[in-house]
Amino acid sequence: MNLLFVGWDHRAAPLDLRERLAFTPEEAREALDGLFAEHILSEGAIVSTCNRAEVYGIAAREDSLDALTGFFSRFHSVDDTVLRQTALSGRGDATARHLFRVAAGLDSMVVGEAQILGQIREAHRLATAAGTIRTVTNRLFMSALECGKRVRAETALGQKPTSVAGLALGLAARIFESLKGRKVLLIGAGETAELTARLLADDGVSEILVTNRSHEKGEALAAANRGRAVRWEDRARAAAGVDLVLSATNATEPVLTAGALRTALHAAPRRGPLLVLDLAVPRDVETEVGELSDVYRYDLDALQEMADINARARASEIPRAEAIVEECVLKFQEWRSGLLQADVVRSLREKLESIRRVELEKHAGKLAALSAPDRAAVERLTETLVAHILHDPTVGLKEGDGSERLERAAAVRALFRLDESTK
Amino acid sequence: MTNAAQIATTLGWAALVAYALSAILYTTSLFRTHPAIGRAATAFAIVGALSNFGTLYARSVALHTVPYRDLLGSMKLFGFFLAVLNIVLELRHRDRSLGPFLMPAALAFLLLSVSLTSPVHADAPELKGPVFALHVTLNMLAYAAFAVACALSLLYLWVGRSLKKRAFSGPASRLPSLSYLERANRTSLSLGVLALSIGLFLGLFWASRMWKGEHPLWALDPKIWFALATLAFYIFVLVRARRGAAPVSTARLSVAGFLLVLLSYTAVNLFVSKLHDFTS
Repeated sequence: MNLLFVGWDHRAAPLDLRERLAFTPEEAREALDGLFAEHILSEGAIVSTCNRAEVYGIAAREDSLDALTGFFSRFHSVDDTVLRQTALSGRGDATARHLFRVAAGLDSMVVGEAQILGQIREAHRLATAAGTIRTVTNRLFMSALECGKRVRAETALGQKPTSVAGLALGLAARIFESLKGRKVLLIGAGETAELTARLLADDGVSEILVTNRSHEKGEALAAANRGRAVRWEDRARAAAGVDLVLSATNATEPVLTAGALRTALHAAPRRGPLLVLDLAVPRDVETEVGELSDVYRYDLDALQEMADINARARASEIPRAEAIVEECVLKFQEWRSGLLQADVVRSLREKLESIRRVELEKHAGKLAALSAPDRAAVERLTETLVAHILHDPTVGLKEGDGSERLERAAAVRALFRLDESTK
Repeated sequence: MTNAAQIATTLGWAALVAYALSAILYTTSLFRTHPAIGRAATAFAIVGALSNFGTLYARSVALHTVPYRDLLGSMKLFGFFLAVLNIVLELRHRDRSLGPFLMPAALAFLLLSVSLTSPVHADAPELKGPVFALHVTLNMLAYAAFAVACALSLLYLWVGRSLKKRAFSGPASRLPSLSYLERANRTSLSLGVLALSIGLFLGLFWASRMWKGEHPLWALDPKIWFALATLAFYIFVLVRARRGAAPVSTARLSVAGFLLVLLSYTAVNLFVSKLHDFTS
C-alpha cells in the first residue's frame, strides 16, 4: 500500500501552466479511468482548483510517480520536462500532510480561505462516483475534510478576511448585524461596482440604488441587479437614505462632499448609522464625511490597514493550525498502521495455514493409518501450533506508536517473505 | 434574628460571591475569547440571580411584605433586575457583551445592600398591599432598564469611537454591531418608560389613598416631581429616537438620563425627599 500524491500548485507552477492542467469534472473522470486502465493507481482522486491540480492515490506499481507525470503530460499535451520541474510530490505520510494542509487553507494563496474545503469535498464526490475512491483514499479525504473543519473551528485562521469584498462585509457586520434588508447606494457603474452589486445582491440587501454620471449605464447595472437608478445630481440625497454607500468611480474630484451629505442628512432624519466605503483612487468621498455624526467612512487605505491587521492575526494562528494538521496526520497514520497490521496478520495466518495444509498432505499416507480420533487430534495439534506461533507477532504488531507499528509490520513482512508468498 | 432573616443574609452573601465571580469572568472574556470563560460567567450570573431572588424571598417572609420597601432592600431588587436583564438579553441575542457592564453594577448594588443591611423589622400595615408592591417593583424594573440602556449607550459610543478611529482589533472589535446596540437601547428605553409610567401612576394612586390624612401635601414631595421629570426626559429621548434622531445623540442622552436616575435614587431619596427617605 503506497500512498502518494503529485500536483502542480500556485507556488511552483505559473498561472498559464495551471490553466492548462486544470480539470473539468468530465476530464477528471476520464483521467481517473485512464490511470486505472494503465495500472498506475489502484485508488485515486483529483483535486482541481484555479490554484492547483493534484492527484492523490495508491500506487499500483513501483514507478507510479513517474508514470503519473507522464500520464498528465499526455493527457494535457504539456511538455513532460516542464511538468517534472514544477511538480510537487510525496509518498506516505507526506501525502496526508499535504492534503490536510491544503484542506486547512494553509497552502492557499490567501491563507485560511474557505472555498478549498468545498473543492476537496467535490473531488471526493467525483471520485466516489467514478468508483476510484476506496478504503484508504476515502479515509484520507474524509480526514482532510475533518481536519479543515477543525482548523476553522479552533483557530481564527479563516475568520479574518483580507479581500476587499471580505473586508467590506466585515466592516458592515460591525456596523449592522447583517446586510440582509439593508439599502445600498452604488456610486459608479464600473467593474468594481458591478462585482460588488452582485455580492451585495447575494448577501440579501433589500434595495440597490445605482447612480452614475451616465444615467443609462447606471440604469443597466441597476436593472441587472434588480435595483433602481438614481439621477447623478440626487446622489447626496440618496446617500442619506441608505445604510451603505459604496463609491468606485474614475472621477478626479470628490463626488460625495461632507457639505452635501450633511445637508441631505438634516433634511431627511434617518435611523441608524451610515457606512460609506470609498474604493476609488483618487478618492471619491471627502475625508470630512467621516466626521459627520453616525457616518463611518473608509477608503482603500483603511481597508489595507485592516487587511494588514487581519493578515498578522492569521499569521499568528498558523502555528496552531499546523499543530492541528500534525494531530490529524498522526491520527491518519495510526489508522493506516492499524490497517497494515491487519493485513500483515492476515497474510501471516494464510502463509502458516498453507504450510500446515501442505505438511498434512505430505504426510497423508502415514496419517491414514491412524484412527479417526487420532487424526483429529493431529489436526487440532497443528492448528494449535499455528495459533501459538501467530500469537506473539499479532500482539507485537499492535504495540508502539504509529511509526513503530509500521516498522514492525515491515519487518514481519520481510522476515516471513509475505510479499513473495502473496504474489 | 429569625430563620428567614438568617437565610436572607446567607443567600445575600452567596449572590454577592456569584456576582463577583461573574463580573470578573465577563470582564476577562472581553480580552480572552475562550468559550469556557464566557460560559462560566453566565453560569455564575444565573447562580447569583437565583441566590438574589432567594434572599429577596426570604426577606419578604421575614417582613410579611415586599422585601424592598427600604433603600437597601430596593438595591437588592435593582441588582437582581440588572442580573436578570443581562441573562435575558444574553440568551435572547447569544451575546455576552453586556455582562462586563451590567454584572459589576449588579455586584455594586448588592454589595451595598448586603454590607449595610439592618435587621429586618415589621412594617406598617399600609405597606403590605399589592398596589404598593407593584409600584416599587415596576419603578425598580424601570431603573434597571434605564441602567441597561445606559450600558448599551456606553457600548455604542465606545464601538462608534473605535470605528471612527479605525481601531480594527482589540476588545471593541468583539462587541456587538452598532445597529444591534442602537436597537437594544431603544427597546430598553421603551421598557423603562412603560414600567416607570405604570409604576408612578400606581404610586400616585396608592399615595392619594393612604397619605391623604397623614401627609396632605404628599404631591409636593420633591421625589415625586423628580421622578416625573425623569419620566418626561426619557419620553423625550424615546420620541426623538423613534423620529430618527442620530443614534449617537440618543446614546449620550441615555447616559445623561441614567445620571438623573442615580440622582433620584440616591441624593433625592436620602437628602431631599421626606416621604421617600426609606430610613424610618
